[in-house]
Amino acid sequence: MTYEIVKIQNVVKQYDKKTRALDNLNLSIKKGEWTSIMGPSGSGKTTLLNIIGCLDSPTNGKVIINGRETTGLKHNELTRFRRENIGLIFQQYHLIPYLTAVENVMMAQYFHSMVDEKDAIEALKRVGLGHRLEHVPMHLSGGEQQRVCIARALINDPKILLADEPTGNLDQKNGEIILELIRELHHEGHTIIVVTHNPEIGDMGQKKVLLVDGKISFKNNNYGG
Amino acid sequence: MFGRILRKSISKRKSRIAIAVLSVIIGASIATALLSVSMDVSEKVGYEFRKYGANLMVVPETDTIEVGFPGVDFGTVTEQRYINESDLWKIKTIYWRNNVLGFAPLLYSVVTVENEQNQQEVVLAGTYFNKNVNILEPYSSEDSTIFKTGIQVISPWWNVTGRWIEDPHDNDSSMVGINVAEALGLEIGDEYIIRYIIDYENNSNIKEYNLTVVGIINTEGHEDNQIFVNLQVAQNLTGRPNKVHTAQVSALCNACPVDTFAGEIMDAIPYTEARTVKQLVSAEMNILGKIEDMMFLVTIVALLASALGVMTTMTTSVIERRKEIGLMKSIGAENRKIMTLFLSEATLIGIIGGLLGYGVGFILSQFIGMSVFSTSISPTVEVIPIVIGISVGVSLLASILPVRKAVNVEPAIVLRGE
Repeated sequence: MTYEIVKIQNVVKQYDKKTRALDNLNLSIKKGEWTSIMGPSGSGKTTLLNIIGCLDSPTNGKVIINGRETTGLKHNELTRFRRENIGLIFQQYHLIPYLTAVENVMMAQYFHSMVDEKDAIEALKRVGLGHRLEHVPMHLSGGEQQRVCIARALINDPKILLADEPTGNLDQKNGEIILELIRELHHEGHTIIVVTHNPEIGDMGQKKVLLVDGKISFKNNNYGG
Repeated sequence: MFGRILRKSISKRKSRIAIAVLSVIIGASIATALLSVSMDVSEKVGYEFRKYGANLMVVPETDTIEVGFPGVDFGTVTEQRYINESDLWKIKTIYWRNNVLGFAPLLYSVVTVENEQNQQEVVLAGTYFNKNVNILEPYSSEDSTIFKTGIQVISPWWNVTGRWIEDPHDNDSSMVGINVAEALGLEIGDEYIIRYIIDYENNSNIKEYNLTVVGIINTEGHEDNQIFVNLQVAQNLTGRPNKVHTAQVSALCNACPVDTFAGEIMDAIPYTEARTVKQLVSAEMNILGKIEDMMFLVTIVALLASALGVMTTMTTSVIERRKEIGLMKSIGAENRKIMTLFLSEATLIGIIGGLLGYGVGFILSQFIGMSVFSTSISPTVEVIPIVIGISVGVSLLASILPVRKAVNVEPAIVLRGE
């Protein structure tokens, strides 16, 4: 069933008197939709991603994720909500350097609920890293690290996958592997929100949102992508 | 998983953790050394004080009888009373019995000493030198039923030429005060006769004993003017079996109120009075108290230094691991789990630092013991849990601020690319 999994209504994020990162922003994203968020540096992309990912709260306005209003949730409630609903893919991968690939994935299980090494291994096999389970990040290439990051994001079966410049640090070949993985996840029905500077990746989304100075300056639906 | 994260995060930052552990070792070793010294030396200092004599004197309760007619007061007379030798074991059955280091009964009499050259009146003191006393009814079933005691135990500081009298049934040996020996020209091995007149009025019923000098005593006190023999010799000579005038008690009283101590002896042998040598006891208490105060202060300063070291290291660690903390939070770690991670690390630092600190501290305590008190310090097992407890406590307390810092790390940091 398709419904609006993300609803953002009149959201304002004011850091100080002069800095307004999001300015009365309205946006809705349907379940299973691939949305690309684009815009120049300082346009509010990361702030928007933080708010959708429950990593930050708006100054004003209403945010409803998967049917629940997240504005007004307390710190620990937001944390719990985030780990149940959001999977995060980072440009810098953010793997724990002293843990192996499989342990990095298991750590997300540990913070979520129960650790199941078999599931963690399956998730890594799925992203093509069945042969790199016991490697620590420094012994993995950038593309492999990003695939560990994706396995970690997927392990708790989140409702929404948020990707911040997922190929920003990768060469073209590895970038394509990652995009292919994201495409597969989308076909499986995951809701994907990707922040990117890259117009080609932006065009892959069914919905493209262009942010300028904290406002949506352009929005289109491209169900051909 | 928690164990893996903890173990690997520690092994990854060995040098940082080593600095924190070292900080704890410094505090823990000083705490160990001073605690061990304090626990052991307060006893040893007590023993040192005991070398200067007994600090309790047990005497028979005196009855004074008013003499005179109605309206005409001739004053009072005091009846000579004794303590029964057979009651002395009760001194070792009071609540503070373990603090009774020894006691020595004394029965005095004036005797005439005669040898080839001279004749002189001298005070003869009958006592125990080093005798096994049977404790007929021990306070607890765990207490020993035999207590080795005597004047040699409570006055080890006496300067003796020759030897002490070792056999309590030795009726021939005597130890002679230096002044007596000089006056009578007595030397070790010399024989002499003592005479005791039981009936002074008629100068009759004279008892004699042949004694040999086995030791010459030099105390620079009144003992130098006396002759010491086994108690039974004095009792037989003077016809006062089972009687003693007084018992000197050496009590270690750094933790117990000495008046209570005296009171308990009076309860155990109801017809006696126990008098404390207050000057000595209060000097002892005062010095021990000051030593303990000083050690306490030094320990506090050392522990503060440790806490500062741990706090600095933990703060640096939190700053270095901001992204890691932010990531953990972003993927769902609650503050509680972040706190548990850092506090577990602090606990481990405390335990390892405490254990190593105990080892170092024990060596340090030996050094302090030998150089300051000229005695080795016995290992005190009770110190181990105390020191580990203190180390963990200091480590945890020092981690409060860094942990607060860790908890306040914003999860959004991971998306800002800082």
